[in-house]
Amino acid sequence: MDPGLVARFAAIVGARNCLAEPPALVTYECDGLTSMRARPGVVVLPASTGEVAAVVRLAREAGVAIVPRGAGTGLSGGALPVAGCVVVGLARMRRILEADLANGWARVEAGVANLDVSKHLAAAGAYYAPDPSSQRVCTIGGNVAENSGGAHCLKYGFTVNHVLGARVVLADGSVVDLGGPVADPAGFDLLAAFVGSEGTLGIVTEVVLRVLRKPEATRTLFATFPSCAEAGETVSAIIASGIVPAAIEMMDTLAIAAARAATGLDWPEVGAALLVDVDGTVGEAGHTAARAGEIARGSGALEVRWPRDEAERQLMWKGRKSAFAAVGRISPSYLVQDGVIPRSEIARALGEVARLAREAGLRVANVFHAGDGNLHPLVLYDARVPGEERKAEELAGEILRMCVRLGGSITGEHGVGADKVVYMGEMFSEDDLATMDLVRSAFDPERLFNPGKVLPAPRLCGERPWPSRVRPVEAADPAGPA
Amino acid sequence: MSAVARREGRGGDAVLGLVPRAVFEPSTVEEAAEAIRACDAEELCVTVVGGGTDLGIGGRPSAVGAVVRTGRLDRVVEHAPADQIAVVEAGVPLVALQERLAPHGQRLALDPPFPGRATVGGLVAANGFGPLRTRYGTTRDLLIGATLVRADGVVARGGGKVVKNVAGFDLPRLMVGSLGSLGLIATVTFRLHPLPEAAETVLLSGLDPEGLWRTVRGLREAQLEPSAVVALGAGPFDLAVTFEGFGPAVEAQRDRLAAAARKEGAACEVLDAAGAAGIRERHDAIRAADGLRLKVAALPSHFPGAVADASRVLGSAFRGPGFAGYPSVGVGFFTVPGPRAGDAGGGGPSAAAAEGARAVARTRELFERLGGSLVVQAAPEAVRAAVDPWGEPPAALALMKSLKERLDPRGRLAPGRHAGGI
Ligand SMILES: Cc1cc2nc3c(=O)[nH]c(=O)nc-3n(C[C@H](O)[C@H](O)[C@H](O)COP(=O)(O)OP(=O)(O)OC[C@H]3O[C@@H](n4cnc5c(N)ncnc54)[C@H](O)[C@@H]3O)c2cc1C
Repeated sequence: MDPGLVARFAAIVGARNCLAEPPALVTYECDGLTSMRARPGVVVLPASTGEVAAVVRLAREAGVAIVPRGAGTGLSGGALPVAGCVVVGLARMRRILEADLANGWARVEAGVANLDVSKHLAAAGAYYAPDPSSQRVCTIGGNVAENSGGAHCLKYGFTVNHVLGARVVLADGSVVDLGGPVADPAGFDLLAAFVGSEGTLGIVTEVVLRVLRKPEATRTLFATFPSCAEAGETVSAIIASGIVPAAIEMMDTLAIAAARAATGLDWPEVGAALLVDVDGTVGEAGHTAARAGEIARGSGALEVRWPRDEAERQLMWKGRKSAFAAVGRISPSYLVQDGVIPRSEIARALGEVARLAREAGLRVANVFHAGDGNLHPLVLYDARVPGEERKAEELAGEILRMCVRLGGSITGEHGVGADKVVYMGEMFSEDDLATMDLVRSAFDPERLFNPGKVLPAPRLCGERPWPSRVRPVEAADPAGPA
Repeated sequence: MSAVARREGRGGDAVLGLVPRAVFEPSTVEEAAEAIRACDAEELCVTVVGGGTDLGIGGRPSAVGAVVRTGRLDRVVEHAPADQIAVVEAGVPLVALQERLAPHGQRLALDPPFPGRATVGGLVAANGFGPLRTRYGTTRDLLIGATLVRADGVVARGGGKVVKNVAGFDLPRLMVGSLGSLGLIATVTFRLHPLPEAAETVLLSGLDPEGLWRTVRGLREAQLEPSAVVALGAGPFDLAVTFEGFGPAVEAQRDRLAAAARKEGAACEVLDAAGAAGIRERHDAIRAADGLRLKVAALPSHFPGAVADASRVLGSAFRGPGFAGYPSVGVGFFTVPGPRAGDAGGGGPSAAAAEGARAVARTRELFERLGGSLVVQAAPEAVRAAVDPWGEPPAALALMKSLKERLDPRGRLAPGRHAGGI
């Protein structure tokens, strides 16, 4: 980027918070989807809404694209830079500004980590419900942008159900408040459009979150099954019985093995396991937990375990939440897919996944939010074997197509980002996409924010705006040291 | 090509006194699109009408060239019990949907007044809700997909048929509360909930504003999980708290609340089924009255006091204003019954026009001062003429106008009805 322009960005955020040297930029070349990379022109780390607004005004004046970024844990390339852009990182805006627990809300800066909100409220017996597995690091701003979910969203809903208001910097540098802590603000529900817009409509700098009182009791059960078929049937039967569990997570043999390797849990070698949370009043949780246990047994469970104490319960959840990363222990490389099927189709869908994997000659581990049919197939491969990475990508793509065929979605929580733009046309018609684009242009007519993400640009339809397999070295600015 | 049913407008089709030139009654999504295209071509401004229960919300449209009635879009397209979702055409009355779901032990967790007349599309467009909002939120929290017809007649779909889905912008939720001014809602897809096995209602009576807030806050602190918390009357308040779920767990919650209330010395009664139905009727009668209907909102901690003050202000200008509200959410309705059919002039709001308008304006001040709001949902002509139905323009008005211009560039859809005169 032109040094004169860099200096002007530095004047806004301070030289220390303005990174333009290639070594410093490497961290920002990708998000959690490390296979897609591009070099930004500059990275700025503003400390206030005012600084964000000034950055946006300058970027607009200079005609430079803006890519917002939280913790960079996104798995769809949402925070992937557009070459030469300004990345606006919210990491320094991590204050919890206000908590009004009697009225059930808190106002926080967008860069605060998800779990820090609940930690802050814990002493008062309150918490913020959406709990992505990345919650120790991922930011509330990133959650808002992705409409993130988590294991406990089955009962409590997603980010969109827990965000009451947002302060947003728009493309013209103006600052606007959407919604707020008081119910039913007048006018269109622009907040609903903003949540899940993946950084394409503006930069959120402050968020008003709904804060819940902790449930009186939570009961957890862990059940093992000979195969995914019985586990899937159990999920359907629990739901059909009228229970609304807080979470139902499913793991297959490979995922169980990975979790065991990572945590030392004494989970057996079985075809599938379910980890179920029910909560509510003591009476409600006790009753529904017992019933869920009976249902699991009736649907063919090999064993139903109840954690002896809170420590064991936490360990079980740690096993589940670390399963993604743990797969790294059983395979040199893997791809995380995120697709949704109607939950009644779990057994059929997993059968399809297994068949597709066999045909591709690859292994797939499944650890996912079974209660809402949100599959997370982990496609295992070895990047050192020529051609295997491409095969893995193709398999992951076929799994998405299957999700769409079964009436589901190409993403349940990781977003479209740069990765799945090419699949949007398989789920939506041209008219659907054009209508979404009208919403986008109402916020950002010049497409300054995160261009190329979420919606396929008509001219790019069917191809990625980024080369699919760019290595860091290849992406490096030829003028700079790679 | 199918031809959408079309006829001349009549007096009975009037929207807030404006008689449309044409009335369309599409029976398929394609026909709805055809109707909207015809309006666009003939430069007719369109008001979409479902059950007609909430046409008074907000401003009077600056023109009503055509009415598109959704009543013939009356099919439940799909109900997948195992997936707990239903795809429903916009004109299906809520009751008809609930009757389809109940045999499967399911419901849409939405219980506004007029379930027999209110249509699912209208409920989304008008953001209709009832006591269950306490636990389940509004249609915003239940809607997972929608098909809409844009002002230019293009049909667009957003969301999907699965509860968890973040592909693309959230067009469905954008329709919630849009009052037909961003597009015609043609079909909606909802997530469903199990019908509860048991329900118990506790009625506390004679609460002053402090007592009401103490009780509402106490529910949260005691980790009770009511499905509905309804305040009726405003000086003093009656408070009906309903627990739903599995039998013994529900009874335990009921008893805990009753014990806590008695310890506080509050008048408290556990209602039987007839008693609970009676409360529901009282609630519905207040909510449904439409001589005057004001929706008010404030933070829950401010809400009881503001409602009590407002009740006195409105009581000085209107005969016997009723109040029904949801204090844990901080939303409620003041209403006065309208003139009954055939009873010319009598029985309606008794206030002299100016006095009524002043009382409404004063009530709005009470809520706006606290960061809350007042929206006119129904009012006598004289009040409507003197009071802005929406109050303070939203902070994001410019952005809302920008959205309206993109989706309805020729301003055909209910122009002037929404906040800020959009
Ligand atoms: C191990 C692991 C587990 C995960 N588990 C889950 C899970 O259970 N559920 C789930 O939903 N996701 C999960 N994720 C995905 C990811 O953590 C979430 O998408 C998260 O919300 C991203 O937050 P972030 O702060 O890292 O955002 P980033 O990755 O930095 O950005 C994500 C998107 O948000 C935009 N953005 C970021 N901040 C802002 C802002 N302030 N204003 C506007 N736009 C902004 C970016 O442009 C980008 O498009 C997981 C990821 C990992 C690595």
